[in-house]
Amino acid sequence: MDRNQTYRNRKRALNAVHFVALFITMAIICIPGLWIVLNSFRPTVEIMAKPPVWTPSFTLEHYRNMFGGAGEGGVPVFSYFRNSLIVSVVSTTIAILIGMSGGYAFARYRFPGKAGYFVGLMLFRAVPGVALSLPLFIVFARVGIIDTHFGLILAYVAMNVPFTIWLTDGFFRQIPKELHEAAEIDGCTRWQAFWRVEFPVARSGVASAAIFAFLTSWNEFALASQLTRSVGSKTMPVGLLDFTAEFTINWGGMCALAVLMIIPALVLTFLVQKHLIAGLTFGGVKG
Amino acid sequence: MTRRRLPEWFVLLLPAIVVIAAVVLIPLVFSLYSSFTPYKLTRPATLWKWVGTYNYEKILSDGKFWAAFGRTVLFLTIVLNLELLLGLGIALMMNKVTWGQRSLRTILMFPMMFSPILVGFQFKFIFNDNIGLVNNVLQSMGYNAALPWLVDGKLAMFSIIFAEVWMSTPVFAILILAGLFAMPRDPLEAAKVDGCTPIQTFRHITLPFLMPFIYIAMTIRSLDVARAYDIVQIMTGGGPARRTELLWTLMSRTGYVDSRMGLANAMGYVSIILSILFTIYFFRKLSAARAQIGMAG
Amino acid sequence: MKKTNLLKVLLASSAIVAAGESATAGMYDGVTIEAKLIGGQQYEGLYGRIAEWEAETGAKVDIISKKSHFEIDKEIKSDMAAGTTSWCVGSNHSSFAPQYEGLYANLNDLVSAETIAEFVQGNINASTVGGELLMLPRAQFDVSVLYYLKSNYEDADKAAAFKAEYGYNLAVPDTWDQVKDQAIFFADPPNFYGTQYAGKDEAIVGRFYEMVVAEGGNYLDENKKPIFNSDAGQRALQWFVDLYEAKAVPAGTTSYVWDDLGQGFASGTVALNLDWPGWAGFFNDPESSKAAGNVGVAVQPMGTVTRTGWSGHHGFSVTNDCANKEAAVSLVNFLTSEESQLAESAGGSLPTRTAVWEANVAAAKAGDDAFRAESLEAFAEGAKFAFAVPPIPEWGETTNIVFPELQAAIVGDKTVKEALDDAAAAVDELMRESGYY
Repeated sequence: MDRNQTYRNRKRALNAVHFVALFITMAIICIPGLWIVLNSFRPTVEIMAKPPVWTPSFTLEHYRNMFGGAGEGGVPVFSYFRNSLIVSVVSTTIAILIGMSGGYAFARYRFPGKAGYFVGLMLFRAVPGVALSLPLFIVFARVGIIDTHFGLILAYVAMNVPFTIWLTDGFFRQIPKELHEAAEIDGCTRWQAFWRVEFPVARSGVASAAIFAFLTSWNEFALASQLTRSVGSKTMPVGLLDFTAEFTINWGGMCALAVLMIIPALVLTFLVQKHLIAGLTFGGVKG
Repeated sequence: MTRRRLPEWFVLLLPAIVVIAAVVLIPLVFSLYSSFTPYKLTRPATLWKWVGTYNYEKILSDGKFWAAFGRTVLFLTIVLNLELLLGLGIALMMNKVTWGQRSLRTILMFPMMFSPILVGFQFKFIFNDNIGLVNNVLQSMGYNAALPWLVDGKLAMFSIIFAEVWMSTPVFAILILAGLFAMPRDPLEAAKVDGCTPIQTFRHITLPFLMPFIYIAMTIRSLDVARAYDIVQIMTGGGPARRTELLWTLMSRTGYVDSRMGLANAMGYVSIILSILFTIYFFRKLSAARAQIGMAG
Repeated sequence: MKKTNLLKVLLASSAIVAAGESATAGMYDGVTIEAKLIGGQQYEGLYGRIAEWEAETGAKVDIISKKSHFEIDKEIKSDMAAGTTSWCVGSNHSSFAPQYEGLYANLNDLVSAETIAEFVQGNINASTVGGELLMLPRAQFDVSVLYYLKSNYEDADKAAAFKAEYGYNLAVPDTWDQVKDQAIFFADPPNFYGTQYAGKDEAIVGRFYEMVVAEGGNYLDENKKPIFNSDAGQRALQWFVDLYEAKAVPAGTTSYVWDDLGQGFASGTVALNLDWPGWAGFFNDPESSKAAGNVGVAVQPMGTVTRTGWSGHHGFSVTNDCANKEAAVSLVNFLTSEESQLAESAGGSLPTRTAVWEANVAAAKAGDDAFRAESLEAFAEGAKFAFAVPPIPEWGETTNIVFPELQAAIVGDKTVKEALDDAAAAVDELMRESGYY
C-alpha cells in the first residue's frame, strides 16, 4: 500500500467519524423538540400510555380544541400571538439601534472610564429576572404601564441592550480602522462611513445580535408573567400556563401551542441567516 | 461659533444608559432598600420598618442558603464549561461541512427557539420516571427498572444540567462559528505552508483568534444563566429534599410563596454579587484575549 | 299572630340586604366590574355564563387577568405590594384566602344570612378567617377519595395469594394499613405500582397533614405551635417512607404533583390512588385513560383514628377597594348561585351548596351512568370527613419549610424523627417570628 492510499483511507475514516458525530449531535438537538411536535398530534391517552406506544397515530384534536371556544380547551391563541409578535419585533428593533450605537462607541472611541462604563452596563444584565420582577412591577404599576405592550417592550429593550452592545462591540472591533478612515478620506462623513462601510461588514454581528434579542423577547417568561395580565398583553410563554390547572396539565394542548410558538422563530431565524451569510464575506474583505 | 457639545461617544451611549437606568437601576435601588426591611408582600406597611442587616445576617447564617449558594456555583461552573466544550466542538464540525450548512445552522439554533419554561416542561416529561421518553426507551431495550431521573440526587442534577446544556450550547456554537467565519485566511495558509499540523494550527492560530468570541459567549451566558430558573423550577422545583435547590428557586419561593420579599431581595443581592464576580472574571479574560491578538480598545 | 309579624319584619329587613343579590333588569347600567379570574379549562365553563349576568343587570365585566392558580396568587400579592387593588372581583381559594390580609371585604356584611345558609356549612367555615367571610364558594370543592383498579379484586389467584401472605381477605381497602399491605402486594416495579403520592410542595404537606389528623394528631396546636412531630406524626410519615422503601410507589413520586399522579393512574399502572374529584371523569374516559371501565371509587381510607379528608375549595371574593361593591357582590352571587353551581358541577366538579349536592346525587342515581353515581356517592360520603388547612397566613410558608424535610425522610437522607424534629423547629421559629407566641 503506498502512502497516498493510506492518506486517502485515513481521510475517508476521518470523514466518516465527522459525519457520525455530526449526525448524533443533530439528533440530540432535534429529538426533544421533535418529540413535542409529535406529541401535539397524538391523542392524550397515547402520550401518557404505559407501556409506551411506539407507532404514533395522528389527530388534530389538540389544535381543534385550542382554537375552540372557552371551556372546550380553547385559548386566545391569536391574541397571544399578536402580542408576542408586536413586543418581540419592536423591542428587538429598538434594542438593536440603541445597542449598535453603544457598541460602536465602545469599539471606536477612547474615553475616560471606558472599562467602567462597559462593565457597569453589563452588570445590569446580571440581575436575575426573578429578583427584578417584583420591584419592576411596583415601579411600572406606579407609572401605569402594567399590562401594556409598551411596558413589556421597555423591559425587553433594557434586557437586550447590554447584550447587543457586547456583541456588536466585538464585531466592530474586528473591522480594521483603516476601512472607515479610507472612506472619510474619500469624502464621507463619519455617519456615512459607518452606514456604507462598517455596517455592511458588521452585518453578521448585527444579525446574530438581532436573532438573540428576538428569541430572548419571544421566549421570556419571568418578567412577562409579572408584567402582563389580560389577554390584551399576555405573550405566548405566559399563555402556555393556560394549559395548567390546579391539578392538571394538558400536555397535548401545551405541545400544540408550543409548536405555534416555535414556527415563527424558526422562519425568522432562517430568513435572518441570509444576512448572516452575506456578512460573513468580510472575512474575505480583509484577506 | 463653537458651542460646547457632549462628546460623541457619550451621545452614542446615552440611549442605552437611559433605558437601563429606567428599567433596572430604579427597581434595583428599591429592592436594595427593601432588603433592609422585613418587607412582606401582603403587608405593604412593613416596607417602612428598618431592620438593618437582619435579613443578611439571617441568610448568611443559614446552612440551607449556603448549600443553595454552593450548588449554584457548582451548577454554573459545570454548565458553562460543558457548553463551551460542546459548543466549540460543534462549531468546528459545522465549519467543515461543505453542503447544507445553512439548514444545519438553523437546526443548530433549534433549542434556542424554545422558551426556557417550555424546555422545563419538555424535559420534565422526557425524564418522567413512569411515562417519560428516556425510561420508555431504556425499558424497550430491555433495562427492567425505572430510573428516578428527577429524584435521585445525582440523576436530578444531571437532568437539569442536561436540559440547560441542551438549551444553551447553541449560543456558544453560533458565536464561535461566527468567529470562525470572521477568521482571516492568511495565517492559516501560512501555517499550512510552514508545515504545521492541524492541531498546532488550531492551538496557536485558531484558538487565540476565537478567544474573544469565547469570552463574549461565556460572559453573556454567565449573565443569562439565571434563565435556568424557569427550567429548574418546572422540572424539580429545587427538590426533592433540596437536592437541586439553586439560589433562584430558593429566592422566588421565599419572595412569592412566602411573601417575604425583604428576605428574598437580600438573597437576590447575594446572587447579583455572584453574577458580578463571574462577569468581571470573564471580562478580564476577554480584555486579555483581545490584547493578545492586538485588538485592545 | 305576633310570630308572623316578626317573620314579616325579618323578611323585609333581609330583602334590603338581598337587594344586591336578586338582580333586576338594568340596575347596574354603565357599571364596569374588573375581575381577576383563575384560568384553566375546568374553570372556564362558568365564565361563559357571565354574559347572562351582564344582560340581566346592564353591567359589564372586564376580565383584567386570567391566570393559573399559583400565577394568580403571585399576581394578587404583587398587587397588594404595589397598592393596585381597585379591581373588584377575584378568584380565591380556601388555602390562599388567609394570606391576603385586608384585601377582601367581609361578605357577612354584604350577603344575606339566608344565602350564606344555603351553602354547605363546612365550606363556609373554611372560607371564614378571623370571623370574616372572605369568599363565596363556587362549585369547585375538593376532597380526595380512593380510586382503584377493579380488576385487582376480581382475580381469585391474587385473592388467595394475598390471604396466604397477609392473613385477611383481599378487598377494597378501608384503612391506610390495608392500603400499604395491598400496595406492596400489587407492586411490580417498574411496570406496575401499588399506589403513589404527591411528593413535593404544598401537596405532600397536605397529604401528610391529613394522615397526621387521621392518626389522631394535628399539625399545629391551638396556639399555632407545630406538633406534627408527635408520635402520630411519626406514624404518618413512616407510612410514606415504608411504601417508598418497598418500591410500591414510583421512584419518582417525590417529584410528582397532581398532574403526574392523575396521568399515572390513567395509564393503568397504579392499583390504588387517593385523588381529587376533578379526575373522576378523566379516569373513566376511554379517550384519556387506559384504566377506563376498570375504575372503582371508594370513600377515603382511615388512619388509626379517623378518615383522611384534607379539603379545599375555590371561591370568589370582593375587594375592599372596589368602587361598586354592590354590583361586585351581585356578580359573585351570580357565579355561586344554585343555577351556576348546577351548571358547573354538571362538568364533574363538586358543588358547595347543599341543594346542588342533593340534586346531583339524585340525578346520578336516576341516570344510567353507574360510574358517576358510584363516584358521587363516594365523594358525598368523603365530604363528611373534610377539613381545611389551618386558616393562618403562614400556612403556605410552613409547607415550604416542611416539604423538603418530608422528602428527606422519604428518600432516606434523614430518619423520620430527625426530619420531623428539624421541620418542627423551623416552623416553631417562624411562628415565634410571626408573633403567635
